[in-house]
Amino acid sequence: MKTVTLDVNGKVFCLDVPDGELLIETLRDRLGLLGTKYSCLEGDCGVCTVLADGKNVLSCLMLTVEAEGRKIMTIEGLTQGSSLHPIQQAFIDEGAVQCGFCTPGMVLASKSLLDRCPLPTKEEIAHALDGNLCRCTGYVRIINAVLSAAQKMKKTS
Amino acid sequence: MKTTSPVGKSVPRIDARQKVTGEATYVFDLKFPGMLVGKMLRSPHAHARIVKIDTSKAEKLPGVRAVVTAEDTPKIKFGSNEYFFPYTVDQYPLEFEKVRYIGDEIAAVAAVDEATAEQALSLIDVQYEVLPAVFDAVAAMKPGAPQIHAARNNIGVMLPVCFGDPDRALRESDYVHEDVFVLPSAAHAALEPHVCIGQYEVSTDRITLWSSTQAPFKIREAMAKTLKMQEADIRVIKLNVGGGFGGKLEMFPMDFCACLLSKKCGGAPVKMMCTRQEVFSCTRRKHPMIYKLKSGVKKDGTLMAITGEVIADGGAYCSYGPTVIAAGIMRFMMVYQLKNIRLFGSRVYTNNSISGAIRGFGGVQSGFAIESHMDMLARGIGMDPVEFRLKNTTDPNTLTINKMIISSNGLKDCIRKAAEISGWREKYGAKKETSPGVLRGIGIGIAADVMGSKMYKSHESAGSIIKVEEDGSVYLFTGAADTGQGSDTAMAQIAAHELGVAYERIRIKAADTEITPFDTGSFASRVTFISGNATKNAATDAKRQILEVVAQELKLGVQDLDIEDEQVVNKKSGKMLLSFDQAVVLCYSFNYGRLIIGRGSYNPKTTPIDFRTGEGNISGSYGFEAQIAEVEVDTKTGRVKVLKMYDVHDIGYPINPASVHGQIEGSIVMGLGYTLYEDLKFKEGRVVNPSFSKYRIPRSTEMIPIESVFIETNDPQGPFGAKGMGEASLLPTAAAIANAIYDAVGVQIKDLPITPQKVLAALKDIKNKKQE
Ligand code: FES
Ligand code: FES
Repeated sequence: MKTVTLDVNGKVFCLDVPDGELLIETLRDRLGLLGTKYSCLEGDCGVCTVLADGKNVLSCLMLTVEAEGRKIMTIEGLTQGSSLHPIQQAFIDEGAVQCGFCTPGMVLASKSLLDRCPLPTKEEIAHALDGNLCRCTGYVRIINAVLSAAQKMKKTS
Repeated sequence: MKTTSPVGKSVPRIDARQKVTGEATYVFDLKFPGMLVGKMLRSPHAHARIVKIDTSKAEKLPGVRAVVTAEDTPKIKFGSNEYFFPYTVDQYPLEFEKVRYIGDEIAAVAAVDEATAEQALSLIDVQYEVLPAVFDAVAAMKPGAPQIHAARNNIGVMLPVCFGDPDRALRESDYVHEDVFVLPSAAHAALEPHVCIGQYEVSTDRITLWSSTQAPFKIREAMAKTLKMQEADIRVIKLNVGGGFGGKLEMFPMDFCACLLSKKCGGAPVKMMCTRQEVFSCTRRKHPMIYKLKSGVKKDGTLMAITGEVIADGGAYCSYGPTVIAAGIMRFMMVYQLKNIRLFGSRVYTNNSISGAIRGFGGVQSGFAIESHMDMLARGIGMDPVEFRLKNTTDPNTLTINKMIISSNGLKDCIRKAAEISGWREKYGAKKETSPGVLRGIGIGIAADVMGSKMYKSHESAGSIIKVEEDGSVYLFTGAADTGQGSDTAMAQIAAHELGVAYERIRIKAADTEITPFDTGSFASRVTFISGNATKNAATDAKRQILEVVAQELKLGVQDLDIEDEQVVNKKSGKMLLSFDQAVVLCYSFNYGRLIIGRGSYNPKTTPIDFRTGEGNISGSYGFEAQIAEVEVDTKTGRVKVLKMYDVHDIGYPINPASVHGQIEGSIVMGLGYTLYEDLKFKEGRVVNPSFSKYRIPRSTEMIPIESVFIETNDPQGPFGAKGMGEASLLPTAAAIANAIYDAVGVQIKDLPITPQKVLAALKDIKNKKQE
């Protein structure tokens, strides 16, 4: 057991967790942040993606103790009140959501990309999302959504 | 169409907001007080007799709440195609005599946490007498092969089809071609693993099961049968489902065990979730198939006969075997008009994991074999593959040789349009060399889709209820099971249009066996067509009830009224009489007190395939499509790069165009994976690549440009002319790519996946032949 101080979505939590506890377990089981899904728990699918200091990480591969001192953002942290982040809105508008199981991870991976590269090409988007699997959409609309979100965000900034 | 009607528009999905915010609830998100973790004990042997199961040590482990084996069950078998194929009912929820594949379920435990449950599994002592096993379908059919069930030569399902005089037709053909195509297994690989929670209620002796399923009513039926309970005492609830693709279409032993364990624990809820490895190894998979074909054509391109044999490796149990074999054999009869057909289909038991339904049933395998074969026939008589198809495909209002009734049919238009947008005429046969040793090619494949099929009941009905509350809110209750394809959205669009109200008004409650009307489930591209018609009928009924009150109040004829754009209008004068809200208030007011509850159901008039004759009109309507692939083949490395796919689809009418394109794109990319690398591999019955790192599915970097065009045939049976279309786009992809490869470099790859090694070997082969 170890006491960790976690910064998740701007809130600070002080938790006692076993040394081997995974971030995904802490998020879902202790903090009730169920928006983070998982599909393989082996680091292969990207479904469990969250942001650590703005970079996408796999919460099934990260120990909770390693998350200490980093700003963790889950999908719940992206929505401000009832207004959606432009990436979320673009996913809706472009029809990029089907079963939605990959969506939280996709949206966060896209945010990580747009934060470091505000106007990516289709290829750059595809490359950035390569670790995030989607079995439903064939990626076409996901990539379009990220592209359109980037353009919208550019306009408003 | 009305101005505010959502039908035909890409309205945002009804569940999209919850999904992008992470609020959408899937079964594994549910938590209940006192919830236990369940785990299945699976056979480590491919074929063995169970001598003894001793659970005493596991039961004593602290933290273990219950252990169940077959001794806790009524020992009743279940199957999937039960109604029409009772002989395929072959699986116990927990086996006790024999295990037939690595992963077969024999016991289950419930414990306070996962680690304890895992430990308990290791403490269950099972004594096996290992039996000889067989892993190859052809070997399993040979006399003397290990006997897996009682079926003779291990052939669990047989479908012999013969029409006309195929031998004579072959003799009269100008060109006859023989081929063997080999199709591997594949995984559905839905991202949400199979998961369920079972809860027993002691006071009422009832069960609630939350399951990630495509067919809650099918699970209810199978649970009632195997637990010897009334269906009324079992409630199955579907929440959001993270993809199904046919892999979540049945009751699984874990569904059964979660409930049984809960009962044994005195009512504590039990959650069971497959690991990714279990999903790959122990749920369902695609039937590997062999197609041996021999067919003939006349010089003028007339298709004379198709004959041959289809052998499918069914694995340990039957699952939806009959439907798969039927689809694997009959689908081309919707596509091609010909009078002479002889095919013999066998679905064979082996000691591999269970083959079952997967997007397209057997249609993907048949699509590859038949469509590759057709190109080779066309080539044999020097005919353009597009022309060849135009000459032989079915037309509108066709009665096929096996009695399928095709009404609307845009297939020829699909083919012409696909040829046009892809620039077929300039590109085909051009063998353009884009860089040294890299050649371009173009290829076509075509397909047909059904809109449902009678699979486990004598009917395939769906029902919907619409209630309109006093405040004008509209609730739609449908049995249809959205698994991500967007059926809830389509149903809401249909309801809104028919009721004449805004899409935003509709709230939907779907797929809860206790609350919503019956629906057979999400399979065979049936939901838009069948559940859509049911929903439309329910909305018509609700509207009639509202208009009756308005007519009475205003002393007008109800037949003269309608609701459009949220207004009750006089159809004759076009005059707006009152708003929808006012009309609803009127219905509820004073002595009217009329609660608006509309109901609708729909059951297409179909007949399942008769397995003795091959005849049957399996679907209420049929959808069609043509797909063209443009590829680049590197003759030095054997690498195939798909440059672009063109898909032209007769979808009747698109209820939600973005959703329809989304289905097509998803199918094509899934097909791309199956064509080029997906291959669920087995060694002595064990899946050797049960992870996403070893079983690769397409990634975003492999996304290809897709041009998707609709042909609108406005089907007379479909809701607003719509047809189902969730599967067809997967069927011709592999053949289109394979045919394009031939066009580029002159080799026809006949076994999937088309790896660079196979292409290189084939290139070497033709080079050697040329030198000889
Ligand atoms: S759950 Fe698959 S990468 Fe974490
Ligand atoms: S939407 Fe289903 S996995 Fe991406």
